[in-house]
Amino acid sequence: MRAPHLPRHFDPWLLTAALALAAYGGLLIYSASLSSYPEGIRGLDHPVAKQAIYACVGLLLLAGAAYMDYRLLGAVAPSLYGLGLVLLVAVLLVGDASYGARRWLTIGGVQIQPSELAKLFTIIALARFLTDRQGEMHKLSNFLLSILIAGLPAVLVMVEPDMGTAIVFGAIWLALVTMGGARAGHVLSLLAFMVLAIPLIAVAALGDYQRERLALFFNPNLDPLGGGFNIRQAEIGVGSGGVLGRGLFQGTQTQLDFLQTASTDYIFSVLGEELGLLGAVVLLGLYTLLLFRGIRAASLAYDLFGRLLVTGIVVMVLVQVFINVAVNVRLLPVTGIPLPLISQGGSSLISTLVGVGLIESVLLRHKAIDF
Amino acid sequence: MATTTRRRWRSPKPRRQQRAPAAGQGAFRLLRLLVVLLFLVLLGQLVRMQVVEGERYRELAAINALREVQVPAARGLIYDRQGRPLVYNEPRYAAAVVPGDLPAGQEETVYEELGRIIGMAPGEIRARVTEARGRASPYVPLVLKEDLDRNTALALKEREPDLPGVRLVVQSTRRYVEGPLMAHVLGYMGPISSEEYQALRDQGYTMHDWLGKAGVEASYESLLRGEPGRRLVEVDASGRERRVVSERAPVDGANLVLTVDLDLQRKVAEALQQHMGRSENAAAAVMDVRTGEVLALVSLPTFDPNIFSRPLRPEELAALTDNPGKPLLNHATAENFAPGSTFKTIVAAAALQEGVARPDTTFVSQGYIVIPNEIDPNAVYVCEDWSRLGRLDMYRALAMSSNVYFYYLAGARPDEFRGLGPDRLANYARAFGLGEPTGIDLPAEVAGTVPDPRWKERTIGEPWYLGNTCWFAIGEEYLRATPLQMLVAVGAIANGGQLLQPHLLREARDASGHAVRTAQREVKRMVPVSPQNLEVVRQGMVMSVESGVAQAAAVRGVKVAGKTGTAEFGEPDAQGRLSTHGWFVGFAPADDPLVAVVVFMRRGSGGQDAAPAAAKILDYIFNGSDLAQRLRAGRP
Repeated sequence: MRAPHLPRHFDPWLLTAALALAAYGGLLIYSASLSSYPEGIRGLDHPVAKQAIYACVGLLLLAGAAYMDYRLLGAVAPSLYGLGLVLLVAVLLVGDASYGARRWLTIGGVQIQPSELAKLFTIIALARFLTDRQGEMHKLSNFLLSILIAGLPAVLVMVEPDMGTAIVFGAIWLALVTMGGARAGHVLSLLAFMVLAIPLIAVAALGDYQRERLALFFNPNLDPLGGGFNIRQAEIGVGSGGVLGRGLFQGTQTQLDFLQTASTDYIFSVLGEELGLLGAVVLLGLYTLLLFRGIRAASLAYDLFGRLLVTGIVVMVLVQVFINVAVNVRLLPVTGIPLPLISQGGSSLISTLVGVGLIESVLLRHKAIDF
Repeated sequence: MATTTRRRWRSPKPRRQQRAPAAGQGAFRLLRLLVVLLFLVLLGQLVRMQVVEGERYRELAAINALREVQVPAARGLIYDRQGRPLVYNEPRYAAAVVPGDLPAGQEETVYEELGRIIGMAPGEIRARVTEARGRASPYVPLVLKEDLDRNTALALKEREPDLPGVRLVVQSTRRYVEGPLMAHVLGYMGPISSEEYQALRDQGYTMHDWLGKAGVEASYESLLRGEPGRRLVEVDASGRERRVVSERAPVDGANLVLTVDLDLQRKVAEALQQHMGRSENAAAAVMDVRTGEVLALVSLPTFDPNIFSRPLRPEELAALTDNPGKPLLNHATAENFAPGSTFKTIVAAAALQEGVARPDTTFVSQGYIVIPNEIDPNAVYVCEDWSRLGRLDMYRALAMSSNVYFYYLAGARPDEFRGLGPDRLANYARAFGLGEPTGIDLPAEVAGTVPDPRWKERTIGEPWYLGNTCWFAIGEEYLRATPLQMLVAVGAIANGGQLLQPHLLREARDASGHAVRTAQREVKRMVPVSPQNLEVVRQGMVMSVESGVAQAAAVRGVKVAGKTGTAEFGEPDAQGRLSTHGWFVGFAPADDPLVAVVVFMRRGSGGQDAAPAAAKILDYIFNGSDLAQRLRAGRP
């Protein structure tokens, strides 16, 4: 843990991709908030100004995370995991609701989204657990325990309700246990069981809110001015962008407020409308760079904990990008999930940047002995 | 789990940590593949939406953001022949909501605030919006309250920007300056009906337009309306206009100058009112016999057309429809009556022209004639005269309005005198314009009825009897004419045989004052009667006013020609007497006719009620005003 060997293994591409995405996001947030702030950035209450502040905080934490030995996280994993659960319970009890879901917690005047923190904490906890159980994951008891670790926070966010984030927890668990040596038979039977249980879950576990959203996905014209409105408007926005887009700040769907929550869950529609297919290719290209550099880091990791940690972060970003964009282009039912590094919102931006910092931390220490 | 795991959870020392197994490399390849695969799925969908269907989505976005707004043209104004305004446009305010523009989830706030301003319960607004949503497109404004006062309208205008979906609708409405006096000429406007909308949508009418429903407002709708402009605007999701994309200015409607003289109209209404007695209704009209210009057209009782410019209360509508005088009906054009003895002028002209009689053809009226009963040879049928008038030539017969004389002319006693017969008489009646609308520029004109044997066979299913000829000769039983038809017919007698098309429009001018239409004198046809024969009829009519039954129509200083009519109708009363319509048709001056006049009263006598009213009208034209001079000089 000596400083001198650090810079040599630092991955500038990873950081560049993250910064480029955050800047791209800033531009899109600016466009999405133009109708509310027609005079541009006049103060710190402008969404882009706020986002820039969060980015600065995120970058500081990124640097800290990179500097810190990630292996220390293994030691505090249970505490972090416990803190994550406490926050998720707290948000259910005293959280702020909006758009029919209770997702935000106000602490000292700052609104945070506990599920964003819980994702990172759960990755750390799972990585630690799987590292401890290395070579013992074929045991059913260990397999079930891993389900419990990912399942607890997943169930808590599902209650908010936040189906999308629950799915992210599921995807992280799946990737990590597969990599951590779980039996294929166990994994497959669980997946089969879940597929069979879907109809039951749909009837019993899903709230009216989710059932309604699912119904609207299949037929948004059911209620074109209510819940179906946004799906429809997002779809029109993306589709009308064409190959080159309608021009930055020129999209009628965005600028005339047909698109709601344009700077958060539907920010991809802003991009699709104003920058078109080309803008989307650039976006996915940046993500590909970020994720590939992340996968490279995972493959280089010195130990299993580092590998699992990085894999978890990579999968977290990947699944969020996929779900968010898929919702915007009507491949998936509506679920409020931010587009990592792009969507307006401090919790997501900061936790993703911290994730990037952790990947760098793993990279910096991937050689046991550095010459 | 707790006891077995605790030990390990607490041992952060990387004792068991080793280099990660190299076997994991395959997993990373798989992960990279997954990234590429998932992104390709997204890209595939993006290509489908943005490239393949991009055009369709772009159209949808345009439908979202672009709205075509109609810019109404100012409706044309209407003036009397001297240029005095008869109708103004006045703004009328209504509160409306566009359900599709209401803020989702915050409708209640809007309902409450709107309800407070216009004085309506939020619950009622909610109910109406919910009901409208199921019925029409959410972007069609739903009018909640009409006829807002100015202050409420201002308050609403002020709050409009903060209340998405709320609209202050400003509609132009008509203010009829003279109220009831011009009601049947001007008519009124009303909201477009669904049938009218179906028929007129191609001309740019919307479901919320108003249009002329009666009178000149209806017959000159297309001139008055002008051409609405269009504005293509970009609206935001709350329906607020952000930008005008393109615009076509409206073309205001043409202003109409009518042939009616407002002062004369007032005088005619007064005279009619004074003499109509207990008649449920009455009508009178004056026409320039040289041009067909209608100088006055009055139907009583009348109504105030201004009540149609705002939402009609049920009791107001009931008062109009339940009134036995049927005030909404124009009795001069839209209802027909037995013309009675006024029809004798046409019988006389026909008999002269057909050579059936000469001016000196003489009959003696014993007070009745007896005609054979064609059904029962043992019975006879008695056709009465109104008095034993004695020996009469044609002038005297017209002057005294002898029934018997005209029974003979019509052919009621073919054994004694070869008269016209019903077919020839019917042909002349039709030649004088009976049985067909006059074509005046007013809607809902009726044609009346000219009976003949074929008509009777067809509609009643009985053959024509001589008794029918009797009644036909004196304009009763089946014959029906509107007062305006009688006016036009007498006008043809006055002007030497020209059957004119009467009209109310003198000129239509566009907003900058250029004439877009000028009424032309239109002769529908020449009646098939020689000038000499018409002169005989005119002489008879002059005698009627000078020494006959129409003496009440005499006017100081001007020679009036006239013919009264007192036509029995309906069922006899307790004393066995029938009610009578009172008629007068005439023209003046008799030697150089300028105007013709018709007066009709539903209940009354031609000589005692209609003729004096006509005298007042003619007296005003020739003595009470400069109208006669102006007409002679060709001035309005």
